[in-house]
Amino acid sequence: MKARILIAVAVLALAGALVFAARPHETTADERVDQITTELRCPVCQGLSVKDSTSETARQMRDLVAQRVREGKTDAEIEAEFRSAYGDWIFLSPPVASWSGLVWLVPLAALAGGLVLVTARLRTGGATEPAEPTSTQVAALRERVAREEAAEG
Amino acid sequence: MLARIVRVIVVVAILGLVVTLALAFRRDPHDIRTGTVNKPAPAFTLQRLDGSGQISLADLSGKVVVVNFFASWCLPCIQENPALVRVYERYRSSDVVMLGVNFQESRENGLAYVQRMGMAWTTVADDDGRVALSYGVFGPPETFFIGSDGIVAGRHIGPIDEETLVTAIEKLRGQASSR
Repeated sequence: MKARILIAVAVLALAGALVFAARPHETTADERVDQITTELRCPVCQGLSVKDSTSETARQMRDLVAQRVREGKTDAEIEAEFRSAYGDWIFLSPPVASWSGLVWLVPLAALAGGLVLVTARLRTGGATEPAEPTSTQVAALRERVAREEAAEG
Repeated sequence: MLARIVRVIVVVAILGLVVTLALAFRRDPHDIRTGTVNKPAPAFTLQRLDGSGQISLADLSGKVVVVNFFASWCLPCIQENPALVRVYERYRSSDVVMLGVNFQESRENGLAYVQRMGMAWTTVADDDGRVALSYGVFGPPETFFIGSDGIVAGRHIGPIDEETLVTAIEKLRGQASSR
């Protein structure tokens, strides 16, 4: 009984902590800058975000994002500014609604294709149609049968 | 039937890969068409490196403008400089304007480099890097060709040679005269 109460209290405490952590709160300007620069690719780095890079270019980009946030621009407007200069390449995660979005769609298409193949294979029970023998094979077989019949007398 | 479908899928996938690779390898790696190409050139007003005032892109309206991003710490910039000097001399009394934008560098170092390398064309300081960011610059050297209509007609990433410069400039001059 005591153990059950302890477990219930622990579960309630965990649920309360999760609800508290996930409570809606006003995003600060710094948090917005961090969010946006996490998505932006550093142009002079190898696969690093603007937020994580220590390069001068990344610093200038962070400054620009911070200024735009202060000016009251929305995230979409700030992202559009970088897209207009660098294209979709500037985003570490390519937008789905673009050519580069194919990197998201191709694996899904491949998975769907695989499922179709597996389903079709399961429906037919894995059986494959026997191949038709060629005329040469038939002739050779007839000749063999005739030879064996002759041998048996 | 299933085997035939699989064969068709494999053939289509291989063809798609071949076409994609063929298209990708045909591209000139110096000519990456990012967002700025074929769009109005981002406006800017920058201080001249020699401190003799400002210059705006709007002041150069109606002219063919070659914008070259450079820095003294950039070895390919040193490599391409003789071609820029020759092309500047060729077009200095024409409707073509060359503009050097100093990239991520102190004005003192930028000016010393300009004087040492014999860069007689207008050079400006992009202190906070905003102009480079608005043009989508990855790093110097990069050269942008702006037509007399104010549209970015092309860009060249990396050191540029005289032939590429002249070809791009003449194309834009031809378009300007046919308007």
